[in-house]
Amino acid sequence: MSGRVLVGVKRVIDYAVKIRVKPDNSGVVTDGVKHSMNPFCEIAVEEAVKLKEKKLIKEVVAVSCGPQQSQETIRTALAMGADRGIHVEVTGKDYDTLGPLQVSKILAALAKKEEAQLVILGKQAIDDDCNQTGQMTAALLDWPQGTFASEVSLENDKVKVVREIDGGLETIKISTPAVLTADLRLNTPRYATLPNIMKAKKKKIANVKPADLGVDLTSRLEVLRVDEPPQRQAGMKVETVDDLVVKLKDAGKV
Amino acid sequence: MLPQFFPPRKCCQFIQKVFKLQSRALVSDSARADEHIRRFIRDNTQVCRDQSLTPQIQLRLFTPSCRFWRESPELWPFGDPYWALYWPGGQALCRFLLDSPGECRGKAVLDVGSGCGAGAIAARLCGASRVVANDTDPVAAVAVRMNCELNGVVPPVCVTDNLIGSEPEDFQVILLGDMFYDDALAASLHSWLDRCIRSQGTKVLIGDPGRSQFEDFSSTNVLQRLAQFELPECVREENYGLTCSSVWKYCP
Repeated sequence: MSGRVLVGVKRVIDYAVKIRVKPDNSGVVTDGVKHSMNPFCEIAVEEAVKLKEKKLIKEVVAVSCGPQQSQETIRTALAMGADRGIHVEVTGKDYDTLGPLQVSKILAALAKKEEAQLVILGKQAIDDDCNQTGQMTAALLDWPQGTFASEVSLENDKVKVVREIDGGLETIKISTPAVLTADLRLNTPRYATLPNIMKAKKKKIANVKPADLGVDLTSRLEVLRVDEPPQRQAGMKVETVDDLVVKLKDAGKV
Repeated sequence: MLPQFFPPRKCCQFIQKVFKLQSRALVSDSARADEHIRRFIRDNTQVCRDQSLTPQIQLRLFTPSCRFWRESPELWPFGDPYWALYWPGGQALCRFLLDSPGECRGKAVLDVGSGCGAGAIAARLCGASRVVANDTDPVAAVAVRMNCELNGVVPPVCVTDNLIGSEPEDFQVILLGDMFYDDALAASLHSWLDRCIRSQGTKVLIGDPGRSQFEDFSSTNVLQRLAQFELPECVREENYGLTCSSVWKYCP
């Protein structure tokens, strides 16, 4: 076992930014807008670093796919305690259409190349809410998956995962190598502090092209239109239940 | 502006007095700024020894009991504090110099990217005839002076212009402690060092713990390993993934 964990980190628009749709409805405005690491990816990095601090794994490798700026996201992961980074360069049109299918192919290729024992990802990104990359990566690798993890423990060559599901919590035990996706309550990510930010400046980030990994970036999806959510209409107050039934019948709802 | 009724000699003396007052004002301004930075460095670092490859050199560095070990980085008021860490590449270089004082004795030494100034201090301790510490960060220059005081050595000349790429000067030794961490920086160093060696016959000594950019640099047969040191446990804990650090002579 290599004792190596691959962590995927995505650069997304910061959660606190008010999103604006482009005038041509082709997408959202990203130019000049504050970006940061996807919050679920932060949780994934934190979990990997915790495993290393417990000496259960040896090395944490942070991976990000995107343009030059993705390196900043990798540096943040390095400052949180990742050992080295891999920047998979994807720019222009390819970056615009980059989605879970392409990223999972890239991660699968890297997981094999790096002989990773675990791939830990955030459960979903806050920009597209896809919640697919972890699952697709596991399927491409034919590895078991522990998704929506709120607790992870390594026991020899198995992983015990407590999953947050609609009905409550489900505990599973899966073999390694495996893919895990982090849910909100898995941990509280640490802040990158100044000494670690400085040390991260001297850590290595390798540059890789998708073609080097034999990955085809062609998208099977085409975004037709992006709209803002409809404005919330004002509601109506009624005095009695009978009034309510009348109003519902008038509106053709009943 | 010269009053017409003063004789010429008195005018000169008058002008000299005005210039002296002005330059004293300038010196005291920069001394005040220096004092402010010195106070900040004193408040936000701790004197460290023993936790490195060179326990005989004391340095003001970040430790867990310092405010910025945990504080939000946005509150740091200066540029990136490379000088607040004793980098493993620099540690190996200093260890080597202290073990082999003949390398610097009686020589003119330039410490490029001096950071905390350990390289310059080691050169002084070995009896270098002239030491220049070069770091583009003016706060590092203050840190170097404070660290020299800690070790009872005369501070070097601190130069904040970027000397990499400049006209090579007559230094007999150039020190590079942990400087090969960035592709662009490594490339600029490569060509400038070649010029220094060609025109001045300078001896270039590099300390590096195996940074990836240095691995590329060293892949051609231009490096002669002079020493290799196992990093002590305390250094390994602070630099996860690094286990040893070496000193090389660059011979293109």
